[in-house]
Amino acid sequence: MYIIIIGGGKVGYYLARALLDEGHEILVVEKDPDRNEFICGELGSVCVRGDGCEVATLTEVGTGRADMFIAVTGDDEDNLVACQVAKHKFNVPQTIARTSNPKNETIFKTLGIDVTVSSTNIILEHIEKEVPTHPMTHLLDIKDKGLEIVEVKIPPNATTIGKAVKELKLPKESVLSLIIRSRKKPIVPTASTVLQAEDQIIAVTTPESEEALRTALRGS
Amino acid sequence: MEFNKILVPVTGTPADDEAMRLACRLTKKNKGKIWAVYVVTVKRSLPLDAEIEPEIKKAENILDRIAIVAEEEDYEIETDLLQAREVGPTIVDEAVEREADLILMGVIYKRRFGQFSLGNVVPYVLKNAPCQVILYHQYTPR
Amino acid sequence: MPPARLYYIINILLGEFAIMKVVIMGCGRVGARLAGLLDIEGHSVTILDTDAYSFRRLAPEFGGTALMGNGVEEESLKKAGIEEADAFVALTQGDNRNVMAAQIAKHIFNVPRVLCRIYDPLRRELYNTLGIETFSPTTIFAQMLKEKLEVEE
Repeated sequence: MYIIIIGGGKVGYYLARALLDEGHEILVVEKDPDRNEFICGELGSVCVRGDGCEVATLTEVGTGRADMFIAVTGDDEDNLVACQVAKHKFNVPQTIARTSNPKNETIFKTLGIDVTVSSTNIILEHIEKEVPTHPMTHLLDIKDKGLEIVEVKIPPNATTIGKAVKELKLPKESVLSLIIRSRKKPIVPTASTVLQAEDQIIAVTTPESEEALRTALRGS
Repeated sequence: MEFNKILVPVTGTPADDEAMRLACRLTKKNKGKIWAVYVVTVKRSLPLDAEIEPEIKKAENILDRIAIVAEEEDYEIETDLLQAREVGPTIVDEAVEREADLILMGVIYKRRFGQFSLGNVVPYVLKNAPCQVILYHQYTPR
Repeated sequence: MPPARLYYIINILLGEFAIMKVVIMGCGRVGARLAGLLDIEGHSVTILDTDAYSFRRLAPEFGGTALMGNGVEEESLKKAGIEEADAFVALTQGDNRNVMAAQIAKHIFNVPRVLCRIYDPLRRELYNTLGIETFSPTTIFAQMLKEKLEVEE
């Protein structure tokens, strides 16, 4: 694959290195001449000096034949514009933008960027997984269907302990798919399955009904 | 000065011929090796292995001609056609790989933006070469 | 109160003039001037800039709101009243910042009228085709100078 990376900072450089190791054709576009020289010195002639938001630069580096376009500069707005130019002017099939402000993830999506990566959100997700007291953990996003898979733990003091699944006020969009009770023993819940303390419940839900699902499972 | 492995990058200017003659004389006594290389630069808009017919033909002609120049000096050289994104790093890599002890290249006087300019290849080679470098400047009366 | 403004207020009271609520991002020379022109005609103007020092460019009699904030952030735009705005104008020095803010105004907050300055003519063209009303001072000014040179002695 021919992959163009905009921004030769730390993220851009290590990304280029990893993708080169996988055997892809890589090109980094970087404004700063010193950074440019550093990357060429380390990785060979894979870096061009220029502004990755400018049509002229992108024409020169052959964006028209790129399979993937990744913008990882430190500025969200530059990443957005670079990806939009690549998408609308050069018809690159896959555009990926990095955002620093987590709120921009949804904005970029609305504005047509294929994939948006927010390092802030990624770190937050990891914290959720690592902190055991967190009531709900995001396991996976099924973005194109608007669904997500989450894990909910039932605390020892939950008001729902002893209730059967059919008695819970589950939101319509949520489905309980698995209950992990003791080690190595998953149960597929039925309407009559009764909740116990320390149950770990894996459920599919929409982001909107996340809150309602949590309340239904743990009580208020 | 004596050398055993000389790399002569050529570009098709009159300076190439004199540079080649000089290379032959510098290594004749030692019966050293000479490589003439031509680098075809491929624009990023094309894949690196694209076959750019007119460019390749031109390069082959230049290399054939430079081999004849060497023959006139009673010397047999090897020629090499390389395809790359940038000329400078390719010449340096080639010199490293062949363990050349000299890079000998002809330059012509150029002006860019009103100032004397060596372009970007020569300065890169001077800065990064793994061996000695001789620049031959062809005098062209103005 | 300057007489011009008084005149417009009378007009408004007579119902002959519609007040626009305009949010301007970037208090440079153009932004400050535009804010002043709109304000004096009685429109409701909010001007945003990341640097409070830029607000020195506003005339002392400016009656609108000057707000510190970044126009590419939703919160700042909300604070500036983007949700009720009739128009949004992006006038910072950064082409990309302008175009991002303009798109947020248009596609997230559905502002009816969005204008955006883009210095780079090629990017301007692209975003025009993407439905943002864009202007390139580079193109306009170069064209104007050329016409001046051709016409006048």
